[in-house]
Amino acid sequence: MPLVNNKVGDDCTVGPEKALVDGKAQVDSLIKVVACHRHLASCVGGCTDSLQLRDELRRTREKALTLAGSICHHLTSHLRNKSLPEGQRKEMELLWVAFSSSLELLHVDLCKVFNISDIFSLANTVALVQTGLQGGGSEVAARALSLPDLNLAPNPTLPAGLESQERSTMEQEISHMDHMIEDMEMKVNVMRWMVEPHGPHGPQGAEALSSSDSASLAMFSVDEEQPGPPPPCQRSRISVLLLLVAVVLVAATLSVCIIFFT
Amino acid sequence: MTINTLAKGSWHREQMSCFRKMEKVIVAMQDPDMGIKMRNQRLLITVIPHAMTGHDIIAWLIKTYSICEEEALHLSGLLVRYGYIYPLKEPRSLVLRPDESPYRFQTPYFWTSNRWPASELDYAIYLAKKNIRKQGELMEYEKTRYSLLNKRINHTWDFVVMQAREQLRASKQRRKADRIVLECQEQAYWLINRPPPGVHSVLDMGLERPNNSAGVTLIETSRKALGRNRVKSSICLESFVKYSEQYQNHDPIMQGSLPSNPWISDDTTYWTMNSEMVTIPTRLRVERWSFSFMELLNDDMGRREFMTYLEKEFSAENLCFWQACEDIKHGESSRVIEKVEMIYKNFLAPGAARWVNIDSKTMDKTLEGIRNPHRFVMDDAQMHIYFLMKKDSYPRYLKSDLYKNMLAKAIVPQETKKSVFPFVRRQRHASPSPAQAVTQATEEDGHAKGGGQAGTNSAAAH
Repeated sequence: MPLVNNKVGDDCTVGPEKALVDGKAQVDSLIKVVACHRHLASCVGGCTDSLQLRDELRRTREKALTLAGSICHHLTSHLRNKSLPEGQRKEMELLWVAFSSSLELLHVDLCKVFNISDIFSLANTVALVQTGLQGGGSEVAARALSLPDLNLAPNPTLPAGLESQERSTMEQEISHMDHMIEDMEMKVNVMRWMVEPHGPHGPQGAEALSSSDSASLAMFSVDEEQPGPPPPCQRSRISVLLLLVAVVLVAATLSVCIIFFT
Repeated sequence: MTINTLAKGSWHREQMSCFRKMEKVIVAMQDPDMGIKMRNQRLLITVIPHAMTGHDIIAWLIKTYSICEEEALHLSGLLVRYGYIYPLKEPRSLVLRPDESPYRFQTPYFWTSNRWPASELDYAIYLAKKNIRKQGELMEYEKTRYSLLNKRINHTWDFVVMQAREQLRASKQRRKADRIVLECQEQAYWLINRPPPGVHSVLDMGLERPNNSAGVTLIETSRKALGRNRVKSSICLESFVKYSEQYQNHDPIMQGSLPSNPWISDDTTYWTMNSEMVTIPTRLRVERWSFSFMELLNDDMGRREFMTYLEKEFSAENLCFWQACEDIKHGESSRVIEKVEMIYKNFLAPGAARWVNIDSKTMDKTLEGIRNPHRFVMDDAQMHIYFLMKKDSYPRYLKSDLYKNMLAKAIVPQETKKSVFPFVRRQRHASPSPAQAVTQATEEDGHAKGGGQAGTNSAAAH
């Protein structure tokens, strides 16, 4: 495959299929990191907010930004390559759309965290909102950073300049993201509405992951409105089962008694 | 939907002041000494801390802010409706009951904000999560919204499903109690930001505030109505009657058209006689030129005659200027600027070849406007020149020899006579011309009178 444009860079020499696979892996990883970051961000300002959480948040954020930078470079160079075959281009555009959506989510999360850490400073832990959470997010951060577990020993006292330093770093990172987003829009012209996803469409497509999570809200069971016929049927089914079991037990004990006394 | 919506605007948008005040109240409630008393929420097996009863909230508000119970009820109701506190027993009913019903604080990440409004993408991810977690869990309205979103942001649906799965996997890393809390938080957030149909959305600020603006709009419309020009209907009718009288002879319906109405007789002489380039115009046409200046200018032949007259008087540049301004007003947009430049060069610049005489105030205003030329920049100057011509040149034209000669030269076409042979196709009159009917009637009257007199004379003679 001839080198089209010197400015495009080394990625052109790599085979397009490999580039696609690489890009897909990176985008998947970014989606995972963004999800974990959002999870951690939702704990900021709450009672589980601590230096450790902020540290984990920072590390996740850095990982997300490095991933985003490399994906941006990778996808931009491939999408500006005019000799890309049509099928490959469609796949690349799909990745592009997923990438820009994850950037959108990440940007909102960064802004929100920046804003909340404005209101809630760790120096004043009594003001943190008591949200009812108890555990930390270390496992989530470990998942984001793809490490088996996080061994952290954060210093118990808060250094004076750390928070302001972190705020300025965050501000820089947010503006860096803004520039990256603008650059993306300028350099690559992808018409988002023309992109066709090839996953399952619609509400019917997504299958249930596992039922263990459903039990969590079902335990609450204070939804006065019935979402549909299934829940009361399930409850009545359980009670009927219990009744049957009780009847069988009673019958068994009675028969045992009869056998013993006759 | 796209990245562009997260423009710098949202970064600098101010949080609404009512939200900031509510946040302060919430933060004040957290104080371990002066704050609210926390209880534990007992579910079947799990115990979740940090629950409070409605009664406690009201009592705390009354104590801290020294307000009455009604106000405390209202304030706590606001806190619940804007999502800073959510109910645990009946999550969909966002009211604060001043009894033992439990409530919990919302995490700051999910606080209501106008700086980062909930996006369609987020909502799609939330619904996808709910759907994946348990198949039948979506309510009816959620299902419709989900399919709508699927249509609307279909291009990013792969991402939505993947992100939903990743978020579920991330939350699986936490213990059960925390998972319940996180789910409740998210549910409360979306009940506020995407309320079920029929529920009033607190984030909807409405189009306008009714109390203030009703009076304001009334004042505005009244003021506009006062400023409108009014004419007494009697004066209006008088001018209408005068107009009708003046134009009566010129109206084809009232007076008939000579030589004949082309629509009826299929004879197009009428049109050919009144066309632009005819050498001898019809009398009616020339008479119309004397009715008003606009009539003269609207008729091409009249305009040319007037131009000839003005050239004799050495004031032709006025009419040229007026014509050029008309051309700008009704011409192509793309050439407006160059036309304005030309007019300036030819008519307005000091020492121009055909300099028009405009008063200094209008000249200054026009020169100012030429800097940003548009279609109507010459309007004032054009109006000035128009009135100049109308008051000055036009009456003189009407008294001039040129006009009088033209009037004398003008012809009155003869009415085409009906042919002797009645079935000739060429002159098919559906009905005779009213002009002819009038002359015939006067003739008949004359005959009848003469006949009557003759009759009486003869009767008297006998």
